[in-house]
Amino acid sequence: MNIKITGGRLYDPAQGLDGVQQDLFIKGDRIVSSLQKPDRVISAAGRVVVPGGIDLRGQVATYGLNFLRLWNGFPSLEDLGRLYAAAGYTHVHEPFLTLYTAGYVHRQLAAIPLVDTSASLVLNLRDLDNYLKSLDQLEEVAQTLKSLQEKTRSLDFRLLEPFVRYRQSFYSHRTLDTAKTLEVLTRLAREFDLRFTLEASPEVLELPCPEPRAFHLAVLGRAVTDDRLLELALARLAEGVSADLGFESPIAATPLDGKPVKIDLGGYSPLDLNPAAGDMLPALRLALAHQGPGLAFSLGGPVRNPLEEFPPLFSWLCDRRTRPLVDAQDLADREFSLMDWVWATRTLPAKILGLGDRGHLAPGARADVALFELPPEIPPASWAKYLGRCHTLLKAGETVIENYELVAPKTPKATYYRRRGAKEGPLLSEICQYRSIRPENLWVPEELGRAWVELD
Amino acid sequence: MQVEQQSLICTGCGCLCDDLDVTLAQGQLQEVANVCLWGLSRFFPTKRLHPKKERHRLLEPLSRLNGRLQEVPYTTALEQAAQILGQARRPLIYGLTNTGSWAQEAALQLARKIKARLEPADLAFKAPYYHSLRKHGLYWAPLEVIRDEADTVLFWGANPLHTCPRHLVRYSVFARGRYTERGVEDRQVAAVDLYQTEMAKFCQLLVQIEPGQELSLLQGIGAHLPGGSGVKPAVKGARKLAKFLSQAEFGVIFFGRGATYNQGLAVLDALGGLAARLGEKQTWALFPLSGDFNSQGLYHLLLNELGAPEAPDFGHEGGVLTSSTPVDFHEFDAILVLGADLFWFLPEDQALALQKRQVPVVSMSPFANRTTSCAQVVLPTALAGLEAAEVAYRMDGLPLVLKKLLPTSLPADRDILLDLIQAM
Repeated sequence: MNIKITGGRLYDPAQGLDGVQQDLFIKGDRIVSSLQKPDRVISAAGRVVVPGGIDLRGQVATYGLNFLRLWNGFPSLEDLGRLYAAAGYTHVHEPFLTLYTAGYVHRQLAAIPLVDTSASLVLNLRDLDNYLKSLDQLEEVAQTLKSLQEKTRSLDFRLLEPFVRYRQSFYSHRTLDTAKTLEVLTRLAREFDLRFTLEASPEVLELPCPEPRAFHLAVLGRAVTDDRLLELALARLAEGVSADLGFESPIAATPLDGKPVKIDLGGYSPLDLNPAAGDMLPALRLALAHQGPGLAFSLGGPVRNPLEEFPPLFSWLCDRRTRPLVDAQDLADREFSLMDWVWATRTLPAKILGLGDRGHLAPGARADVALFELPPEIPPASWAKYLGRCHTLLKAGETVIENYELVAPKTPKATYYRRRGAKEGPLLSEICQYRSIRPENLWVPEELGRAWVELD
Repeated sequence: MQVEQQSLICTGCGCLCDDLDVTLAQGQLQEVANVCLWGLSRFFPTKRLHPKKERHRLLEPLSRLNGRLQEVPYTTALEQAAQILGQARRPLIYGLTNTGSWAQEAALQLARKIKARLEPADLAFKAPYYHSLRKHGLYWAPLEVIRDEADTVLFWGANPLHTCPRHLVRYSVFARGRYTERGVEDRQVAAVDLYQTEMAKFCQLLVQIEPGQELSLLQGIGAHLPGGSGVKPAVKGARKLAKFLSQAEFGVIFFGRGATYNQGLAVLDALGGLAARLGEKQTWALFPLSGDFNSQGLYHLLLNELGAPEAPDFGHEGGVLTSSTPVDFHEFDAILVLGADLFWFLPEDQALALQKRQVPVVSMSPFANRTTSCAQVVLPTALAGLEAAEVAYRMDGLPLVLKKLLPTSLPADRDILLDLIQAM
């Protein structure tokens, strides 16, 4: 269908469009520069027109996450898809997929309707320890990582623990500290075109980062626990590292009442799905202190309800009067503009995930477009109310939400992964030999997803 | 003769062993390697653990006429089944723990459509476990991690040799994990049971108790853990078990149906409390030993879709109600059974009551069993994982894709359920 969106204010940092009143044309699933005869005209008067949202760290399909439903602490997958679409999102990226939970994660992602999905492969460096120590085998490591990425159908690599440590003291001779690990990862990135997402920690921030563009720091806000670490974080961002904020969820997980919900993914520490209530101020301080383009928006824990969680966070960013008062005196006075918001929730996440045709409204981009009712006279103090729920959402040119109602519940969706064409080497066999599942069953088959899209 | 070697996932139990090698010749299964006796009965028509006793494979739909089951065309059987379920005031869909996930999803769809209650066959076993998780929280580790790291293993009311025979060699006791390279030598193993089972041959400690002593034993263990009252335990073995448990670095309690036979709710509550208490200082997981091959898939589906790992009842006004209490068959006037042998598990008085009330039963099964012999309509099905592709969740919740290796004219469970939905 050919669509013309007329009368809206376009916000697209990639093109420098800052509320420019301009028509937008869609032909099929793409944005085009002009259109002779539109089949449909959507009036966007009084509305802002932005690219579809991309949740860079939407913890929605992690292995074990469904246990949270025991305490009514998590919506159904069907509801999650609807909530994301209602909030103007078209893509969700699950951060925690491991070698043997890949099938599980993909099956869950496939069951989330409406939004496209992808996932990060969490590397367990204990699988590679000896190879990481001997630097002359890095090519083998790189090939193996690429191979694993393709076979688990993941989009990028993530390190929860950028070190090698063992719970068993017997293996202590095989440990690798964070500094040495980052050094090896840097070489891998430089020589073999790899990029790693590191879950940020004070330890990671303390270390030098010789190849900033090789790393993305996830949940950076959680690591910035004092002024010195804030300075270090800002320095990393100034060097060119990208990061996401990792706000602690403002929704208290009351039904869980502090009960432990821990999932052991075979790392040094288990994944905590019900962490104690965190401090939101570090992420807020970081967001307001950083003036550059390196910070994306994200939540630090499981996404319980984007319609309820995201608006208050947007509100704090956009309006200083709504910010938490406790210890907030030292927060910068800066307020996010709509351009900052679009950058942090759309443009930068698309760049980080390598989704070149998303996150902007330039001709050739996929027609993922969200329209929010936000008349120009509305002050930032009330933006959150308007930006939390989208009026119209188009995904690949198809109208999904119209006048706040879901109109196309069966909108096609796909899971994205990166194809690397890597060779299988001896390291891959070594990794597989310890598994209780044969490699042919470990790798994610077509049947565990619905539609797959390969990215080169 | 063309001979073909293939790898196969066994649907004998919740282990879903994926290291079976099968030999196929002329579209027939000739040989299966690495399979246990339990699994063998999934591939050859023999009785469980008795490979020389044949089991009757159902090949044609059956319908009861004048008290006798007679062969009928598939469409006739389907129509009759649809009529029975469609006309029922209170229909029940029972079983599903031995069917693939696609079939389970279709069954849930059918339950919604006919406003039925959907009853997992092992609800009495799993419901107390989830109740315990709600109260005490959760430390969950996949079998992969348990195999690699668990150094202390306790079996409570479970005999894996009878319910999931290769569990011991693949995951829990004899398996050579990454950090338990010497297998059983790197692990301490204990069991609590009512009988002196085969487990005694390799368990360092087997505590035999009398029925009803479970809670006293758990109290005794608690009293002798660090920080406990130290009161003399009422049940022999509590002190030794407490010592055994407290020396773990990574421990796991596997419990079986035996833990839920007597005061199941209280026993699982106490086991959950014990695991949580031990977990404050060490790593401890509480893990149900599912005998049915896709029990975990069913509860996963229920959690995903309805937020409760319980029996959903769509027959109530005002929406779905879920129940953790096993079904009262008196309420229901038609039953669809698949992925379980209802009349095998049902106490005799309840089975007789159903027959006396002439409650029509529609049974879907690849093999003849007690339920098919009592059914009004029997729909034979293809074997999931051999004659039909499916997805199943291993007992730790990891999904595996089951392949179709052999041709068959029989429809898969899911296909029949979708046909039923259409026929309603």
